[in-house]
Amino acid sequence: MLEVFVFATLNGLVTGLLLFMLASGLTLIFSMMGVLNFAHASFYMLGAYFAYSISLKTGFWVGLIFAPLLVGVLGALVERYGLRRVHRSGHVAELVFTFGLAFLIDEAVQFFWGADTKNYRSPDILDFPLFTMFGQEFPAYRGFMIGISVMIFIALYYVLTKSRVGIIIQAAITHPNTVANLGHNVPLIFMGVFGVGTALAGLAGVIAGPVLTTFPGMALVLGSIVFVIVVIGGLGSLPGALIASLLVGLLQSYAIASDVGMPELLELIGVSFDRNHPLNDLWTLSLPQIAPILPYLLLVLVLIFRPAGLLGKREE
Amino acid sequence: MSILTLNNISKSFGQTEIIRGVNLAIEDGEKHAIIGPNGAGKSTLFHLISGLHTVTGGSIKFKDQEIQNRPAFEINRLGLARSFQVTNIFHRMSVFENVRCALLWSKGFRYSFWHLLGRQGELNDASMHVLEEIGLSDRAQYPAGELAYAAQRALELGIAIASGADLIMLDEPVAGMNISEAQSAVELIRKVTSGKTLIMVEHDMNIVFDIADRISVLVYGEIIATDVPEKIRANPRVQEAYLGEVPNSA
Amino acid sequence: METLKAIAKKSPIWIAYLAALLGLPLVFDSILAISIFNQMAIGIVFALSYNMLLGQGGMLSFGHAVYFGLGGFLAVHTLILIEFETVYFSIIFIPVIGGVIGLLAAIFIGSFSTRKAGTVFAMISLGIGELIAASSLIFSDFFGGEAGISGDRTYGPTFFGVDFTQNDQIYYVAAIWVFIATLFMYLFTQTPAGRMANAVRDNPERAQFIGYSSRRIRFISFCASGLFAGIAGGLFALNYEFITEENLNAATSGRVLLMAYIGGLGYFIGPIIGAVVLTLMNSLLSNYTELWMLYLGIMFLLTVIYLPRGFAGFIMMHQVAWINNRIKSLGVPYLLIGLPSLVLLAGIIAMVEMSDHEGEAFYYFGFKLNPESFVTWAVVLVISLSAYAGVRAALPQLKQAWESANAVPDSEDPKS
Repeated sequence: MLEVFVFATLNGLVTGLLLFMLASGLTLIFSMMGVLNFAHASFYMLGAYFAYSISLKTGFWVGLIFAPLLVGVLGALVERYGLRRVHRSGHVAELVFTFGLAFLIDEAVQFFWGADTKNYRSPDILDFPLFTMFGQEFPAYRGFMIGISVMIFIALYYVLTKSRVGIIIQAAITHPNTVANLGHNVPLIFMGVFGVGTALAGLAGVIAGPVLTTFPGMALVLGSIVFVIVVIGGLGSLPGALIASLLVGLLQSYAIASDVGMPELLELIGVSFDRNHPLNDLWTLSLPQIAPILPYLLLVLVLIFRPAGLLGKREE
Repeated sequence: MSILTLNNISKSFGQTEIIRGVNLAIEDGEKHAIIGPNGAGKSTLFHLISGLHTVTGGSIKFKDQEIQNRPAFEINRLGLARSFQVTNIFHRMSVFENVRCALLWSKGFRYSFWHLLGRQGELNDASMHVLEEIGLSDRAQYPAGELAYAAQRALELGIAIASGADLIMLDEPVAGMNISEAQSAVELIRKVTSGKTLIMVEHDMNIVFDIADRISVLVYGEIIATDVPEKIRANPRVQEAYLGEVPNSA
Repeated sequence: METLKAIAKKSPIWIAYLAALLGLPLVFDSILAISIFNQMAIGIVFALSYNMLLGQGGMLSFGHAVYFGLGGFLAVHTLILIEFETVYFSIIFIPVIGGVIGLLAAIFIGSFSTRKAGTVFAMISLGIGELIAASSLIFSDFFGGEAGISGDRTYGPTFFGVDFTQNDQIYYVAAIWVFIATLFMYLFTQTPAGRMANAVRDNPERAQFIGYSSRRIRFISFCASGLFAGIAGGLFALNYEFITEENLNAATSGRVLLMAYIGGLGYFIGPIIGAVVLTLMNSLLSNYTELWMLYLGIMFLLTVIYLPRGFAGFIMMHQVAWINNRIKSLGVPYLLIGLPSLVLLAGIIAMVEMSDHEGEAFYYFGFKLNPESFVTWAVVLVISLSAYAGVRAALPQLKQAWESANAVPDSEDPKS
């Protein structure tokens, strides 16, 4: 039992930190510009694909550095030439734009790389078990994932709170007009933040690609979950996004790992159902089966009862 | 008889107190102006009365009913209408549609999805009548967002008065207008509010002294004086707190 | 009711619409054409229902397929019930079932999701959509799991001897339903609730100050759009006799968003245009190129950036020029910019297709293009660049003609 718990926690941590890498970029972009970037997971996918292509020629580590940069530059260009123009048509148009962008990136990836799954592999150097517990191995690559994520977040934290640029960004998050009036080039900041946000997503793709498989549907797999996280954590709150990411990551991990089914739970309270009962489907659910729905259920509940999310700040 | 009474109204946003203990009684049929320096809380006071914000303390009575903290649409249905400082019209609909929508509730249509508006002769006639009153009948079919600024302000006024409200609140109705536009606007305001109660926030002292029966002066969220125009002009506290554009011809 | 029919009969547009709907299969009677018309019919009702929400009401939903799908699932189940004679009525009433289910679902979901519009609403709709799509895979008894469920429309009482085994027979049923649905959705926009939906879209704050609860208006629009989406789902069930979880999910919701947006939001005819264009692209274009989805994506994105009001919006942009009687002055400028634009487009598509064809020659509008040939590439590139130059050159005079055609007269009346 303990080993299941330990590994589930570790895996949940890996997933949660990865989700936060995506959610943090999304939150930054939303806080700054009021745009919920539907295409965020698509940039994550681009990161994986860019890294894959680069790694074919020069290996994993070069890809790790350059792929996120490429994605960030692409993101900045999208902001400058696409999003900025759509901005004056209102929030709905912005959302629709990012939605169309997601669709386009999806198709473009299939155009340039084909529809098959790519054999993007983690570097051989990390291909050993980090430790073994109760007969199960924990791969070093996953440890690497945790390590990189934590390093990035510490860097992000310091930049946002201690550096001049970071403080300007924090101010521009809640009071963009005031910051512009103080003489700062807010459009440039916007472009920069969008670029950094997408670069973070790309980085997540670079390190997740080998583990979660690199294929054209990978954006869809994570896309909705990231939105759920950002909303649950509170639109516009980084600490909230962190808590929500870890929550969702761990929740899913525990749900999948445990094999508890509804019948067992119900038996605990002395209720049992016969097979032909019309709600049989519902009552024979097991936790692993409903694991994919849990985040959405949480999303809907939070939006109904606490539209500002757990720690939300930005008012619509 | 007092149509609107404010009893010890206060409003805070978080730690910041914007309105501190405002007491005011507006008489039925009175033309009342609220003046004060920028940031005094005039618009906030309007928001509190019209239902956009909740009060932190105190009560507001309109026609003997308590209206504080009630939703804006309920307050509007009791007969209170307002305009906005920043033009707030239905910019994608035509000028005619703007006014017609403003008339819908008072004509009893409620949430009907079975009445065809094209066949509602009385409603359409009433809409054209309002348009004529505000001088926009020649531009009835234009999208409201395409009108010139002064025309939009006139439409703003039209939407506010269309439903036949008894109390009309206008927030800086002539802001941004040149002298001749402002004069026309004042004429219009006088015409459409005759017989009704009017509360107006305004900075232009000429207009204020022209229209108002009484003036209240709001400074830092408190009313420091409420009186007829001549007495307000002579009031030393007012002169001290707010050196407005007092007309040269005293 | 009589007066409604009288109005409808008086208006020539509606008669033309009905004639077109009924007459299409007479002009194009191939099996492919009938199948395309059936798809268009479903798409038109679905997209129009979506427009009630987004274009008329300003509510962006990423989960509209739920009402379509639920309507469709209940419709197929009803077909099965008719087959086993548990209930017995003509299948032409199946869309009613779809509509009722769509309405009930919308009433339930709308009761908590229409409190706010904007991003919160969009997120709730996404969450609900995903929740229901995911749940449908779990409740496999009702939803048939990944394989979906299927039925047979040839059971039940025949309608004047017709048993609907053929696709063109079912098309006429669909055509009548499309007409009825379009008519009622149009009439809705002419009612107080429909007009106030526009007002709430433009300015939810101001709507309150003319006596209306914005939330209640949104709720009514939401329920109405669910009703008609359910009808579209019923039409889908009748046409395909088969429905799966895919018809409930985010992809289908995305497709209807695309249709409505490209056609043009906020204009009644927009979604009709969008449904027709997208169905044609889907059916016809996919025969000529594998890349049609890519083109669709690019077209969509360009529409969002440059033509935010869609095709219908583009047409309606000329409204002021029409009122001013200066439409004709735009004819030549449009021609001067239109021709090079088309050539430029053809050139770009040629280059994209050549990259995709990887070495094999193929036919492109009658020309044989060989991606291996340097000459071919050079020619296409030169043509494209000159076309681009032509577009840039024609732009200023178009701008000028546009501005002069669009001047809004300001009244000289001092009373204004």
